[in-house]
Amino acid sequence: MKGFDLTAILLNPEFSRMLAQGVKMTFIIFIGSWLLAMSLGIVLLAIRMLPSRIADAVVAAYVSYHRNVPTLVQLMLWYFGISSLLPDALQIWLSDHNGEAIFAVIALGLCQAAYFSEDQRSGLRAVPKGQWEAARALGHGYIGAMTHILLPQAIRNAMPSLVNHTVSLFKNSSLAMAIGVIELTHVVQEIESQSFRPFESYLIATIIYLICSLLLMWLGHYLEQRSRMAGAV
Amino acid sequence: MSLLQNMIGIVEDNWLLLLVGQYPNGPLGGLSATIILSVLGIALAFPLSVVMALARLSPWRVLRWPVTGIVYITRGVPLLLIILWVYFVLPLLIGHGVPAFTTMLVTLVGYEAAFLSEIVRGGIQALPRGQMDAARALGHSHLGAMRYVILPQALFNMIPSILSQFVSTIKETTLGYIINVPELTFAAGQINNRLLTKPFEVYFILAISYFIVCWTLTQVTNMVERRIAARRTTNLNAAAAASSLAAAASASASGT
Amino acid sequence: MPNETSFREAPPMIQFVAVHKFFGGLAALTDINAEVKKGEVVVVCGPSGSGKSTLIRTVNRLEAIQSGSVLFEGKDVQGKVRGSALNQLRSRIGFVFQSFNLFPHLSALDNIMLSPMKVNGVKRIEAREKALWLLDRVGLSAKAQNYPAQLSGGQQQRVAIARALAMEPPAMLFDEPTSALDPEMVGEVLSVMRGLARDGMTMMCVTHEMNFARDVADRIWFMDAGRVLETGAPSEFFRAPQHPRAQRFLSDLRMR
Repeated sequence: MKGFDLTAILLNPEFSRMLAQGVKMTFIIFIGSWLLAMSLGIVLLAIRMLPSRIADAVVAAYVSYHRNVPTLVQLMLWYFGISSLLPDALQIWLSDHNGEAIFAVIALGLCQAAYFSEDQRSGLRAVPKGQWEAARALGHGYIGAMTHILLPQAIRNAMPSLVNHTVSLFKNSSLAMAIGVIELTHVVQEIESQSFRPFESYLIATIIYLICSLLLMWLGHYLEQRSRMAGAV
Repeated sequence: MSLLQNMIGIVEDNWLLLLVGQYPNGPLGGLSATIILSVLGIALAFPLSVVMALARLSPWRVLRWPVTGIVYITRGVPLLLIILWVYFVLPLLIGHGVPAFTTMLVTLVGYEAAFLSEIVRGGIQALPRGQMDAARALGHSHLGAMRYVILPQALFNMIPSILSQFVSTIKETTLGYIINVPELTFAAGQINNRLLTKPFEVYFILAISYFIVCWTLTQVTNMVERRIAARRTTNLNAAAAASSLAAAASASASGT
Repeated sequence: MPNETSFREAPPMIQFVAVHKFFGGLAALTDINAEVKKGEVVVVCGPSGSGKSTLIRTVNRLEAIQSGSVLFEGKDVQGKVRGSALNQLRSRIGFVFQSFNLFPHLSALDNIMLSPMKVNGVKRIEAREKALWLLDRVGLSAKAQNYPAQLSGGQQQRVAIARALAMEPPAMLFDEPTSALDPEMVGEVLSVMRGLARDGMTMMCVTHEMNFARDVADRIWFMDAGRVLETGAPSEFFRAPQHPRAQRFLSDLRMR
């Protein structure tokens, strides 16, 4: 067993290039799916608030599916399953243009949208009913009440869960390696097999993930504090 | 629809593989392996998590800090990477190769214990302070108070969260696929490799199987949670009523 | 009616010597010097925020002090004693809380039996007998199998008193035992306390119940802003208080 030597990996130009590429891909997947998940989450919430029982049931089914099926299986269903149902031309285009990454973003984004919409829904439910009545009594319309009074409070309430789920999403980007996306975890396995230094390879990946997760948690905490009303619970 | 017919056909042909893997011609796999892995994982993780939670709440830094560190690392690093670590490190520690199932089990136990310890810690801290005061006032030691008064209540209140974590564990077993653990996802992969032309049907069956298992467990959890919440509210109401009356009364000295 | 036992010769059971306590920058107790003799019943009264509860909680170290000493049976409660010695000491001081703090996961009988068995090593059969006897003494034999959530506030507090008595302490401390009760239940708890006083128990009570104080106490301690401003026999204190703040306190009460 060779001695512990991080520089053998960090200073090696080939390996550091691969690492940079892996980190970049991890972030692309993370940010892409986060944006998809957030916007879709809001859309789902809006649909759910329509006075229609069918709308509520549809969204509930969506959430239930994505929370009860493992994320890895969802990824595989999209990449292996649904892609095979697509027209051939589209399949060819996708495999030329990083199809794996696109499917990863779609799968992870749709999955996390379920969690985000539930977080936002709980956040909205935690706003006392009197707020809505006060807003209407003052003359705000539905949209105005939502925008100025209810949603700001709802988001504040939902922050801790949203931050937690954001960190989960970040960690889930590693699952993309199962469908061949060349993100950090995949890259590190490659490096390991080429350098025969598993300890150092995994350690680098661990440190990168850990720092990023801690930064995300810290950022979330900071936003929570900023949005806290003085003296409020 | 032909998709549906295909799926029914696949299930008919392969249900045994999905259920028990290659057994008896190989190790136990499929859904059975998934269930065993999850149950063992949670069962072994639970006592470990209680110890970790108590360590985290203890007044000694030498106990608190390592556990806090482990919890933060587990929350910040993807499970997949942790699995790869254990896969690599465990044989070194033991001196010889370790079957993938065992590697997965060890990883799950450690991972779940870290998450469960946060749940346990929350449950302990949610109890009214008066319980610990009363136990100490009667002369119980810190551990005695934990054992007879705090933990029985806290653990009972936490049952829904623990069940919920069990459902998460079932979903996490799928990552064993990466290191070739013979569980349900691996079995589906084998079927797909054999059939090759029906990937959607195969993976849809896989998704539905997990959905049925997890959804059922979630319903059970919700039912249990409702019953526990009813019991807890009665207790909390008694304590809350007592303290609010106390606050009101002490604000004004009562007369003759 | 004051106790007739010749308590004047015996050494004091509870002693406060130059006790100071701070909560951060706030002085909660300032230069407390006082003692409770064996068999004596002391009632501590005063406006809210005067430090009465804090004072009584220093006796079994539910609150710590910054300087001075608190002695129980001649032993320093606040100093170096810790661990099992502290637990031993606490088991000899009965404490009744304002919010009862019964253990909700145990029946009334089990609440009373638990600590003698686990802290004092009493055998189950003995503990059970004693517990049933105590329940009878507080008038609740019929409720032995009931859980706290099924009992009224007054019943819960009586069980709490029995629970403290089960440890056979030479002294009982009461921290506003009736403040959290609906008025119609105050009487049943006070009557249990009167019974204890009659039987010669050393008692220190923080309470707003002035009739009880007048009838049962041997001495009244009046506290305000963290100091004991006046002590005296009830007959003197209620008829002619010396300190101006004590006079104002009593006249406020009579106004009601």
